[in-house]
Amino acid sequence: MYGDLGNKLVQHAKRTQNLAHLPPYQTELVRAVTREVRDLDKDVRSMLEPFQGSFDPNADPAVSCTLLVDHMAMRRNKRCLLAYHRTRTDKLEELVWNGTDIPDLAGQQRAPGAPNGDNGSSHLSPQEEDYMRQYSDLLAAYKGQWTDIDLTGSLEPPRDLFIDVRVLKDAGEIQTEYGAINLTKNSQFYVRQGDVERLIAQGYLQKLS
Amino acid sequence: MSYYDIDAILTDAEKIPCTFELDVPDLGYLDNNPTAPLKSGTQLQLPLWLAEMLALQSAGDEGKSFVSIELPPPLSDEVVQALKADPRAVALRDQSAHFYNLATRMLDLFEEKELVEVLRKTFAVRAAEIALHARKGAAGSEEKASNLGVGGAGEEFLRGLDEWERKLFRKAHDGAKAGKEWMDGVKKH
Repeated sequence: MYGDLGNKLVQHAKRTQNLAHLPPYQTELVRAVTREVRDLDKDVRSMLEPFQGSFDPNADPAVSCTLLVDHMAMRRNKRCLLAYHRTRTDKLEELVWNGTDIPDLAGQQRAPGAPNGDNGSSHLSPQEEDYMRQYSDLLAAYKGQWTDIDLTGSLEPPRDLFIDVRVLKDAGEIQTEYGAINLTKNSQFYVRQGDVERLIAQGYLQKLS
Repeated sequence: MSYYDIDAILTDAEKIPCTFELDVPDLGYLDNNPTAPLKSGTQLQLPLWLAEMLALQSAGDEGKSFVSIELPPPLSDEVVQALKADPRAVALRDQSAHFYNLATRMLDLFEEKELVEVLRKTFAVRAAEIALHARKGAAGSEEKASNLGVGGAGEEFLRGLDEWERKLFRKAHDGAKAGKEWMDGVKKH
């Protein structure tokens, strides 16, 4: 029945809400739902054709009922499509605020579900990647207004200014107030927390307590 | 209830029993029979998003609506009687995952004073029970042992929560847990 595919899409969205990561974009399903809307629109057009724009619902209740059903199905599909995408963009915005980039996302998602062979794609549609990129730019511009405060920093007050960290992935050389440190895998450092917070969030470093 | 609310959209997909009040040649597919016309008097299960509009819209000069609708099975007399007897003993989730949402939407269309009263009482009684379970769950492992006696029945009850009640449970549980963590933190420093 019309609307069943849209319902599937919303069930995907429901699952997405409870997941930590973003599942693959349902390209096929989205395409099928939009196709359904187009078909319905065509039906409505051909149904109204003989009336030449002077359709009187009271004179022909059967036709007006069919039209109403088609119209409601289109509206339903629209709502399902919008809600699905909105759920995903909400998630993307959250990721951006947490400091995730698109390359990060691709890397993260390949690791757990290794053998499904989607060679490191980020599970986003091209439009979503674009959205994420532009939203990151917006956020960066917004944050740029206050140089002495990090809006995406941790809300928890630090116990100590300096912490021990272990390097999980090679991250190259970083500059700190006390000179440059070369972060090579498996090495340990005693550094200022503020200098490495972002690297911890990105998974390059691990905080040792 | 927002336009983008996933739970509201899923509630709208719940099936409502309808009876068609007129013949429609092109809608046979609603009855899984695309080649035959849909006859007046046909009984169908239609999703709420469709049934509602068809029931509210009137057709022709007599002002008759396209379909007449009835209360769906989750709100049938049987369920209501069971809720009256003991709200905690009914697994609302087995009736509908969006039980309260569905009920709210249906009561926009039906005038059922008694049903409203039963549902209000149901929620109040169950909410208290949910709060109790949430506190137990968050209290930590040392107290869990003493609850073993009611564990089985409690699990059964929690499995029967509808989507709204689940949210309530999660909130109550997280709140109690966060409160406990904060208290522990205060003691430590």
